[in-house]
Amino acid sequence: MRTLILADFGFLLLAARWTIVLSAAAFFGGGVLGLLIALARVSQTRALRWLAIGYIRVFQGTPLLLQLFLVFFGGDMLGVPLGPWISAVLGLSLNAAAFLGEIWRGSIQSVTIGQIEAARALGLHYLPLMLRVVLPQALRVAIAPTVGFMVNLVKSTSLAAIIGFVELTRAGQLLNNATFRPFLIFGTVALIYFVLCWPLTVASRRMERRLATAYRR
Amino acid sequence: MNYVFHFGDIWNAWPELLWGTLLTLRLSALSMLLSLIVAVFGALARTSGPRPLRALVAAYVELIRNTPFLVQIFLIFFGLPTVGLRLDANTGALIALVLNGSAYTIEIVRAGIESIPHGQVEAARALGLHTLQAFRLVVLPQALRVVVPPLGSQFILLMLNSSVVSVISADELTAAAQDIQSRTFRAFEAYIVATAIYFGLSMLFTAAFASIERLAFGRPVSR
Amino acid sequence: MRRFYCLFVLALLLLPYRVAQAQTVDEILSRGTVNIGVLVDLPPYGILNAQQEPDGYDIDVAKLLGKYLGVKVNLVQITGPNRIPFLVTNKVDLIVATLGVTPERAKQVLFSIPYSAIENVVFAPKDKKIGSIADLKGMRVGVPRGTVQDVILTQALGSDAKMARFDDDPSTYQALLTGQVDAIAETGLTGDQFYAANPGPGIERKFTLLQQPNGITMRKDQWNLHQWVNTFVYFVKNNGELDVLYQKWFHKPLPNLPVF
Repeated sequence: MRTLILADFGFLLLAARWTIVLSAAAFFGGGVLGLLIALARVSQTRALRWLAIGYIRVFQGTPLLLQLFLVFFGGDMLGVPLGPWISAVLGLSLNAAAFLGEIWRGSIQSVTIGQIEAARALGLHYLPLMLRVVLPQALRVAIAPTVGFMVNLVKSTSLAAIIGFVELTRAGQLLNNATFRPFLIFGTVALIYFVLCWPLTVASRRMERRLATAYRR
Repeated sequence: MNYVFHFGDIWNAWPELLWGTLLTLRLSALSMLLSLIVAVFGALARTSGPRPLRALVAAYVELIRNTPFLVQIFLIFFGLPTVGLRLDANTGALIALVLNGSAYTIEIVRAGIESIPHGQVEAARALGLHTLQAFRLVVLPQALRVVVPPLGSQFILLMLNSSVVSVISADELTAAAQDIQSRTFRAFEAYIVATAIYFGLSMLFTAAFASIERLAFGRPVSR
Repeated sequence: MRRFYCLFVLALLLLPYRVAQAQTVDEILSRGTVNIGVLVDLPPYGILNAQQEPDGYDIDVAKLLGKYLGVKVNLVQITGPNRIPFLVTNKVDLIVATLGVTPERAKQVLFSIPYSAIENVVFAPKDKKIGSIADLKGMRVGVPRGTVQDVILTQALGSDAKMARFDDDPSTYQALLTGQVDAIAETGLTGDQFYAANPGPGIERKFTLLQQPNGITMRKDQWNLHQWVNTFVYFVKNNGELDVLYQKWFHKPLPNLPVF
C-alpha cells in the first residue's frame, strides 16, 4: 500500500491518451468496415443483404464485453497472433462497424428512390451513382448521429480494461488497488471521460438541430 | 491452432448457466421497470417542471450519458461506501443499471412527449381536463406509439450492459460464465456459450417487441 | 479470378504473423525471450511499484527463471478473467501468478511442483465471532472467483451463506473493508498488509482455511518446458535462492513446499 500522490493523476492523464488513441483507431476501422456493411445492407444482391443483417444482429445482440474477449483471443485461436493492441482495436472496430453500418444504412435510405432512378436513367453506374449522388446527401444526414455514436465508442473503450488493456479505466483500477481512494480516483476518471465525451455530445446535438431546421424549411 | 475445444465441463455446469440466465432476465426486467418509472417523472420534470429542476434533470442526463457504465459501477460500489453509503453487490448493480438506464429512457420519453403538438394539450385543457388528465388521456396514448420501439431497443441494450456488473460480484449470466471458467480454466468454451445465450435472448426479445408493436399499434415492424 | 486475388492478399497479410509460439525449451532459447504472465494486483506477490512496473515475489521468481534459462524475460500483465486465455492462445509461455493447484484445473493446464505456498485465511471485522467454517452461516462471504477457497466454502456452506465472487483479489479485499461483505477468504499475508494500511474497520484474521501450494502454470502440451521448470524449482529450492526471495518479500523462511 502506498499513498496517492499528485504524480498519480499524471498517470491517469497519460492513460487517457490511450483511450483517445484506441477510440480513434476503432472509429477508423469501424468506419471503413461500417461503410461496407451499410452498402451491403442496401445492396441489390440478396446474399449480401442477409450477410450484413446477420453481422449487425450478432454484434448488436451480444455483450461487447464478451465480443472483446472472443476477438481478443480469437486471432490466436485461429493461429494469427495479433498482439494486444491490434486485438483491442479489432474487437472495438468490429462492434463499431455494426452500429455505424446501421446508422449509415438509414442515412443512405434517406436519399429518395426517385433520385436514384433518375441517376440510373442518366446512365450512371454503381460507383458514380454512390459517390456523386447518394453518399454526399447521405453524409449530411449521417454526420450528427455518427458524432453521437463516437461518444458511445469512447465509453466502450473502458471495457478493454476488463481484458487487461491499460487505458483510462484500467489505470484507475490499478491506481485504486495500490492506494485505495476509490471515490477520488474513479471520480477523476469519470471527469476525464466527461471532458472527452461532452463536447461530442453537444456538437452532435447542434448538428441535429441545424439539420432539423433545414428540413423544416 | 492446436487448441482442443471441450464443452463437457460447460454442459455439466448447465444449472449454473440457467440460473445465471434467469438472474440476467430478472435484473434487466427489474431495472427496465424502475428506470421507466424514473423516466416518466424525469421527463415530466425535464419538460414542464420548474427551471432549477429542469436544469438538475438535464445535468443528470448529461453526466450519466457522457461517462462509461463501468466507471459508474466502480463509483457506486467502491466509492459510495467510503462516504458512508453501503450497498451489497446485487443492489448496487440494480441501482447502477437504473441510474444509467434512466438517463436514456428519460430522453426517449421526453422525445415522445415532445412529439405531441402543444396545441393538443391546450385544447384538452380548454375542454376542462386538468394537467394530469390531459397527460394521461391525450399525450400518453399517442406518445406510447413513439416511445415503444426505442424502449424495446433500450431494454436489449440494458440487458447486454448488465453483463458488466459481474466485476462487482453481482450474480448474472456473465458472472456464471466467469465462475465456470476460473474453476475449470475453460475460458473460451464458457464465453462462447454465454455469448450464444445472450444472442438467443436478444433475438427472442427483438421478435417479441416486434409482435407487441404489431398487435398494439397494428403497424408493420419498423426496420 | 477475383476471389483468387482476395485469398492471395489475405494469405499475404497472414503470412508474417505465423511465427513464435514457443512450446519447448529449445524454441524459447532460440527466440531469446520468455513471455511470462504475472498479476500486478496481489501484493506482495505481484504489484505495480511507484514507477508503474511489475514487482513482487512472483515477479522475482519469474526473473530468476529467466536468468536460469539464459534469456530475456518479457513480463506480461494479466488479470483474473483473462489469465488462462493468455496462456492457451500462446500470448505467454507460462504464468507465475500464485495459482492454486487443483485436479479440475489440471485437466486444462500443467502445473509445476509448488514454488510458493500461501495461507488461505478468513478475514472479518473484530466484532464478528468466527472460528470455523460453520460460523460463516448466514453471512455474506467474499472470495475471488473459482479459487480453491471458493470451491471449499461453496461445497461446505451451500446455500447457508451468500457467496460474493469477485473477478480479482483487490476487489475482494476492498469489499470487506467497505463492509459490503461480512467476511472474506483470501491470501493471508496480502490481507495483513492491506488491513494494516487501512485500520479503520478493525479487520483481523479469524482462522486459517488451508495451506495452499501454488504452481507455475503451462499449457497442456508443454511437457518439455514443464520438465525444465520442475527442475528449476527443485534446484532453487535446494540452493536457497527461493528462500532469499521469500525472505525479501515476507520476512520469514520459505515454508515446507510439498512436491508431486
